[in-house]
Amino acid sequence: MSQDLLIADPKAVRDDRARDVRKLTRQTVLPVLTAVALLAVWQVSVELAGLHPAVLPAPGAVLETMWANRELLVVNAIPTAVETIGGFALSVVFGGLLGILLSYSTLARDSLYPNVILFQLIPKVAVAPLFMLWLGIGWESRLAISLFIAFFPIVISTVSGLNAADAAILRLCDSLTATRTQVFLKIRLPYSLPFLFNGMKISMTLAIIGVIVGEFITSQRGLGYIILFAGSRFETAIVMAALLVLCIVGLVLYGLVALTEQIIMKRFGE
Amino acid sequence: MSACSAQSGQAFVRLSKVGKSFRVEGGTIEVLCNISIEVADRQFISILGPSGCGKSTLLMMLAGLEPVSAGSIEIGGQSMRTPRRDVGVIFQDPTLLPWKSALENVLFPIEIFGLPFAKYQARAEALLELVGISDARHRRPRQLSGGMRQRVAICRALIHEPKLLLMDEPFSALDAITRDELNVTLLDIWERHHQTAFFVTHSIREAVFLSDRVVVLGGWPGQVVLDVAIPFARPRDLNIGESVDFNRICGELRRAIAENHARRVAD
Repeated sequence: MSQDLLIADPKAVRDDRARDVRKLTRQTVLPVLTAVALLAVWQVSVELAGLHPAVLPAPGAVLETMWANRELLVVNAIPTAVETIGGFALSVVFGGLLGILLSYSTLARDSLYPNVILFQLIPKVAVAPLFMLWLGIGWESRLAISLFIAFFPIVISTVSGLNAADAAILRLCDSLTATRTQVFLKIRLPYSLPFLFNGMKISMTLAIIGVIVGEFITSQRGLGYIILFAGSRFETAIVMAALLVLCIVGLVLYGLVALTEQIIMKRFGE
Repeated sequence: MSACSAQSGQAFVRLSKVGKSFRVEGGTIEVLCNISIEVADRQFISILGPSGCGKSTLLMMLAGLEPVSAGSIEIGGQSMRTPRRDVGVIFQDPTLLPWKSALENVLFPIEIFGLPFAKYQARAEALLELVGISDARHRRPRQLSGGMRQRVAICRALIHEPKLLLMDEPFSALDAITRDELNVTLLDIWERHHQTAFFVTHSIREAVFLSDRVVVLGGWPGQVVLDVAIPFARPRDLNIGESVDFNRICGELRRAIAENHARRVAD
């Protein structure tokens, strides 16, 4: 209806576009400028104070080290990224299934949920050595630690998401003689998506922590191993370069989840 | 009795001594008792009463969404205990799926029934055309006004050609002008498709305008306190609301409601 009444106004359209550009510029330029300013302060203070590079290397030196060791960093970033994706995927599968079980079976909910919460209260990093005892020093224990740390947000978001469906819509489905499977696939699942994606974003950041903890303990390869190993030799610039690469890996993986969310929510949003 | 109900004397919907009580802490509350109504095939009947008289509960029992506590409900000769596919329900809220377009929402029952979409696509579009929102068929609910959403809900309830149409105060959340419009649209559609229709409302004028027959619920627990035939010829337009007969019937209904309401408040 409103479209029929629309009066074309090129000036208003231009104004809107200009406002959007100004907003976008502000949102991208300001954080970049802030970061550059902080790095400059860091660089200048290190030089002025004459700090030893083992204590705090200047950003320039970190970048140089990063470039010089690019092969080492990439070779070790790959297993970290792959195992993070693995730990995340396992979390989504197991956390999702557990969430569905808890939502659909009152017996499971009453008997399991308090225990799941209790389990969650264990400081997980402290338990990590146990996984090494049970699963050895290979990728299996790193995936297990990652899963252990990252699955809980998926459980919680699945349970709250599956309960988020509009009660009136559920009654409509009843009146249409919809089966439980239909209600799950066509109503509860779409309604749970915003919750699931929130859980997945948190889970992805936890999965990477799990893998790094695993790499600290198993000491074979990966960015966590590089950080620990270089740290023990006071090669602080490499530690920082590895941290930077780790940031990039985390950002890309988180970005992938956010991108998937955008695509899916275009179909299943309002 | 109107012409259409006189054609078929056979009762299509039969409520026999229907009662409803709810378990509450410390006992039970009886909300409806001894409701007996017979509705002829293709009759349009309104259930009128003040808020909380149990009229929506009665409709939910007719839809098979609430179990009856006493008595029985028969539709087309079969006892009604669980929802059935030959019944269409329009709820107070449009209850549209936010991620589906108007057209997809209209086709939702077809999706649930697992019937071929292709067969019903044209019917869905024709229904949307009939309620006057054909141009908006690809829009999602967020982009529709309240009145347009309820129009989509009407189409959805009719898509599978139900034999019985149940409406639970479908227009009570709308403004008066939109409400009048939708009353006219509803009558227009009903006169074409002619299902048996139950319409729950607390608006006296709406009930009289739409119905062949108006049943007033009142008292505590709710019972039938008045059952009147509405004699106006069809098709009807909003102008009948100005006639003397129309206002006389409205007055009669209003007094019946007020009398029983006063008694209930006094209790």
